[in-house]
Amino acid sequence: MGTIGEASNGLSDPRVGRRKWLQSLIIGGVVSALGGGVALVRTGGYDIDAITSARLRMLAPWQYAVVRHVARRMLAADRSEGVPSADDVGVAEFVDGYLVDMRPALRRDLLWFLRFVEQLAPFGSASLHRFTELAPADQDEVLSALEASHIDLLRVGFQALKSLIMMGYYRDPRTFAILGYRGPLLGLPEQGRP
Amino acid sequence: MIVRGRELLRDFEGDADAVVVGTGAGGGMAVRELARAGLKVMALEEGGYHVPSDFTQREEEMIPLLFRERGATMTSDLAIRVLMGRAVGGSTIHNTNLCKRTPPEILDAWARKYDVVGCSEKELAPAFEQVEKDLSVREIPKEQHNANNQILARGMKALGFHGGPLKHNRVGCRESGFCELGCSYDAKQNVTKVLLPEAFAGPGQAVVMSDVRVTRIEHQSGVVSGVSGDATDARGRSIAGVKVRAKVVIVAASAIGTAALALASNLPDPNELAGRGLRLHPGAAIAGFFDERIDGVYGIPQSYECTEFLDFREGSQRRVWITTAFAHPIGAAISLPGFGASHMTLLRNYSRMAVLTAMVHDETEGRVTVDREGAPRIAYEMGEGDRAQLVLGLRGAARILLAAGAREVVLASIPPIRLKSPLDVERITQDAVRPHGLPMISVHPMGTMRFGENPKTSVVKSTGEHHGVRGLFVLDGSLFPTSIGVPPQISIYAMAKHLAKHAIERAR
Repeated sequence: MGTIGEASNGLSDPRVGRRKWLQSLIIGGVVSALGGGVALVRTGGYDIDAITSARLRMLAPWQYAVVRHVARRMLAADRSEGVPSADDVGVAEFVDGYLVDMRPALRRDLLWFLRFVEQLAPFGSASLHRFTELAPADQDEVLSALEASHIDLLRVGFQALKSLIMMGYYRDPRTFAILGYRGPLLGLPEQGRP
Repeated sequence: MIVRGRELLRDFEGDADAVVVGTGAGGGMAVRELARAGLKVMALEEGGYHVPSDFTQREEEMIPLLFRERGATMTSDLAIRVLMGRAVGGSTIHNTNLCKRTPPEILDAWARKYDVVGCSEKELAPAFEQVEKDLSVREIPKEQHNANNQILARGMKALGFHGGPLKHNRVGCRESGFCELGCSYDAKQNVTKVLLPEAFAGPGQAVVMSDVRVTRIEHQSGVVSGVSGDATDARGRSIAGVKVRAKVVIVAASAIGTAALALASNLPDPNELAGRGLRLHPGAAIAGFFDERIDGVYGIPQSYECTEFLDFREGSQRRVWITTAFAHPIGAAISLPGFGASHMTLLRNYSRMAVLTAMVHDETEGRVTVDREGAPRIAYEMGEGDRAQLVLGLRGAARILLAAGAREVVLASIPPIRLKSPLDVERITQDAVRPHGLPMISVHPMGTMRFGENPKTSVVKSTGEHHGVRGLFVLDGSLFPTSIGVPPQISIYAMAKHLAKHAIERAR
């Protein structure tokens, strides 16, 4: 699985510069956006029910919404039959649970990246809307731009988020048929071969 | 005896003749050798203790369980993922059981250029022979090569490439194919199955305590006196202090962990060599898509190799090793390029996919440092020469896949490179393998505490004992002054066995 960054404390550590750069970019972008009258820092107004919100362990409701939207696009099906959706499998819930035991520095970076995806990345596609407010095709455009970004850190962030989402989806036996995968082979007899 | 540190109810203090930090190939061998010599030895392992029934063959469960940082360790520039074991048994729990001796050209170079004495091919041969016997090392017979490995062999044969079957340490293998997630069938002849039971049989006394994170090597006036650290719960939180006093300390916590512990312990290091010289043996994968069903996920992995681009003579520009590298579903989904419908379509060919990896016998020297908390940071920027080798290897692997009948070969670079003909392989360029341009992985970190006779160029002596701290030994892949160009498991076992006599002598 890819990661976004790690804890650091030295000025010579390139990660410090990169993370601070990313944070500055986000903060600067948000401040600029505010200056432009677009309330991008808003983290309310998400349609997450109270029960789901109460169950979240690491993600804030708005972060959960971002993960859910990204997962829906990353796992968009190539055909309609026999493919469970990201929501069916509970990908965003898996990501929330996985973050619990993630090293705090990594978790912090991932959450920063979610903020970037939601509030700044759409600018790159000439949109003033938040990611979760975009149409699916526009969301795909934003994700494609992140995947192929010239900025290393954004590509790494994309890959990290993709890793968690793919893990959340393809761990589920309902998805094995997509791969033609028969699943774990526990309990094979001594002379047994798969 | 194995004690689970996570069950400690209060701080632990103990005495031993020797304490071993880390229980992978090096540490596990050290524990056995010292116990066999009649010594009281205590081993401390950061990871947990697991038995075969714990291994569920599920990636999302096993990767967090068996790998450091839940498998998320990266180089500082985030370009290379570094996988290291974190369990009683270390990486011997989840490796693919490859057993290739250290190439003699490498041992010769160590003697000539790094003043390593007593470790020639001839001098190490008895240790290798004994280890291979102990671990039941044998060549994987042709009938046990799975389809992915058969494709490698088929493509190589068509091209006239050199290579052949590999040797493994496995007995009673059911060929399920889940070696990298721990063996549910206990077929790995590894530290937990072979070495620790022999250590526990004595005549000395061996105790392994899991779930203990050693944070400091205790030393004063150039003499080691023990180690200290914390027992942790399942989430890595400290629950009790642990101190072990001993005349000898053996550190075998991987090239990353050993260097980090040395640095965090402020060992004498007048030339600032500790942590330097890191080699990662970095690699990348390339997939071929076939019309036939392959099911590469099942069966014995990595039973065949291509050595066409591997020449260990000094100055060689053929420094890349090719073997199979099939991924389980989550790994494949993460590795294949793109997302959405096109990504899912690609994954529908999972059962008709064969995957090869090219691993570079690297000359790039990275460095391990530590942050304020003592956590390791891995600086490694792959040099131009090594990138050229990776290109050479990936082109070779692509040619093999195409020669074996792949209708398409895909390299998951950004943007992805899709090849349909051998004439296309030139499209794999150094730009494609730039940092962050291609997912890269390291499973064989080496170096960082290099051995040799000259304290100006090495951290520890040829015996494994630290130049500046009496009684402190390093017995793992950190010792290696260069990459060895082959999977290091058996070399680490053999080197630890070969050098353990010096630690035994010091502990008596």
